[in-house]
Amino acid sequence: MDRRLFIKLLSQSAFVSYGLLACPVLGWSRSAFDLALEGQDLIQKKNFSKAIKALQEAVRIDPKSDWAFGLLGRAHLGLGQKAEAVAAFRQAVRLNPADTYSRMMIEITTQKPIPRPVKKKKPLTPLEKEAMHEEQDILKKLRAEKGLGYKVKRVVIDAGHGGFDPGAVGKSGLKEKEVTLDLAIKLHERLTREGKIKSFLTRTGDYYIPLSARTVTANQFQADLFISIHINANKNRQPSGSETYFCSEKASSAEAAKVAALENSVLKYDEPYKKKQGYIDIEEILFKFEQKLNWSESGEFAKAFQARFKKRLPLKSRGVHSANFYVLRRAKMPAILLETGFISNPDDEAMLEHSAFREKIVDSIARGLV
Amino acid sequence: MRIDDCRLMIVDLKDRAKRFHQSSIINHQSSIQRGQWLSFIFAVLLFFCCSGVVAAADVNDLIFQGADYHYKGNLDKAINRFEEAIKLEPKNEYAYNQLGILYGKKGKFDKAFREFLTVADIDRQNTFALLWLGILHLRKGEMNQAFERFNKIIQIDQNNADSYYFLGTIYNFRHNPVMAIEYLKKARNADSGEADTHFRLAKAFHNADMIANALLEYNRALEIKPSYTKALNEIGWIYYNTGKKEAAIKQWEKTLKINSKDRDAILNLAKVYNDSAWDAFTSGKRKDALKYWRKTLNINPGNKAAKYYMAKYG
Repeated sequence: MDRRLFIKLLSQSAFVSYGLLACPVLGWSRSAFDLALEGQDLIQKKNFSKAIKALQEAVRIDPKSDWAFGLLGRAHLGLGQKAEAVAAFRQAVRLNPADTYSRMMIEITTQKPIPRPVKKKKPLTPLEKEAMHEEQDILKKLRAEKGLGYKVKRVVIDAGHGGFDPGAVGKSGLKEKEVTLDLAIKLHERLTREGKIKSFLTRTGDYYIPLSARTVTANQFQADLFISIHINANKNRQPSGSETYFCSEKASSAEAAKVAALENSVLKYDEPYKKKQGYIDIEEILFKFEQKLNWSESGEFAKAFQARFKKRLPLKSRGVHSANFYVLRRAKMPAILLETGFISNPDDEAMLEHSAFREKIVDSIARGLV
Repeated sequence: MRIDDCRLMIVDLKDRAKRFHQSSIINHQSSIQRGQWLSFIFAVLLFFCCSGVVAAADVNDLIFQGADYHYKGNLDKAINRFEEAIKLEPKNEYAYNQLGILYGKKGKFDKAFREFLTVADIDRQNTFALLWLGILHLRKGEMNQAFERFNKIIQIDQNNADSYYFLGTIYNFRHNPVMAIEYLKKARNADSGEADTHFRLAKAFHNADMIANALLEYNRALEIKPSYTKALNEIGWIYYNTGKKEAAIKQWEKTLKINSKDRDAILNLAKVYNDSAWDAFTSGKRKDALKYWRKTLNINPGNKAAKYYMAKYG
């Protein structure tokens, strides 16, 4: 016998016998324990309806009796009321996680479809009322698109570097932070004008923002895409052209790995995920699935942007690369890093100084989004 | 195994087995004494009946033991019990499903997948096995296959909260809030007791700019699981984006009380303090700016921006 049950029995037996005698005289109601015992007896006699009544009363009096809830589950099951049975077994397990029998019955019963229990309607709270009106107003206006294609409705545009961090500086003194900010603002203004995609900026002036804060902004606005704008540089003045990066576990080339290492060098990585043994973490499966999807979608965006750069900009296309960039990895959405030319290359630098060339870059990015 | 009152069934079966066994002995003795051939055949038949009943009882015992070992974390013993049960009852769906879960817990996902496939072969209506097949497809990054499995479940059971949950979540990952809302609302309506369902639904509403609904669902997630820090963090952004900075800060501070290392809350607070510092600085309120940069460093000592500006202006 269950130890708790035994103690209960001991403590109540004297009281119960006294109660049984005194009940009719004093008008005392019966205890939850008596009712549960009666319910158990009725279950054995296959009188499930009466058992349910007794056990419902038992759990009303003692809502913490896992034993009574377990019995109630059995009684419902006896009548084929699977949904009610599962609800009672669940309550039994909540109250006593060691109740293997109730847990097993939930698992067995829910292997196959069970009818839904009828719910009682409660009056709405003010927030529920507001939510209901909001849903009536907004949800109908939003177009349902059934395909699994990725939807971009809002973008966070990150102007690389800023403040005390000028980024790369060209031979003529052009600073990466100034070009990236100008491109970001121009792109933001263009998207705002067009009105199809909402856009947000990580910085609007010449100040420094830590890498971590940039993706925080993307998460803040529930962005569908994070675009970080940069201008490349090299000690050698020869390299020129545009390239696009996205995040991946493995770098696509040694060069990409170097770029990522340089970007990540100032940061400490998150603690590695400690896998719990003997446990399937569904949320972790979903997290990794989402990350995989985001990275694969980032790759698609990267290819699309690079193709547009190749077509529309008078710059050599250096292709699409991937590496484990911290700034991209922390984003909870597809994220890409654009390198729109080499500031260290005199020809690229000269083009980057011109407003018309910058407009072309902005145009390529904006068209890549739609 | 049928969906039945298992423990009572085991007891019933044992009692019946005893009774049958006793009656078979009596019958056997009487048959010898009387030398009646028919009685002897009857006794033999009863013996076989009795053995069958004992075997059935063993299956239920094994299943119960397996479930108990599983709960207690003794995965190997649980696997052994369920495998033994399958030897006695080769189409026991529950045992196969449990083996699937147990192999999954041991990291043997291919084996787990095969166990669930076996159940789906035995009975195409077994939504539990189909659900896990879908989850294991997600684990392998196979979105379309997972999507098909979950859709199949809905065709069988229109109240299956779990499959609606996964379908809605996939739509959320595709940043398709309208479809995500449609499925996650069905998941919520089928089973409102899951904090994750409310959270994912809130995210979909949030993504669709339906702030009152998002707030309502984040709060529902928190009612079920008050330590749901992801919900607290998102509520923080709702407050912040609607101009309630102090309320937002309180939300993230609540998160840090629950988990002082919550990276999202730390970075959110650091960003908001840094932004406030910069706003104060550009409006000529240097003291306020310094106060906020100090706050940033308290929460995020490695913050490069706050470190630099404190060193320069502090």
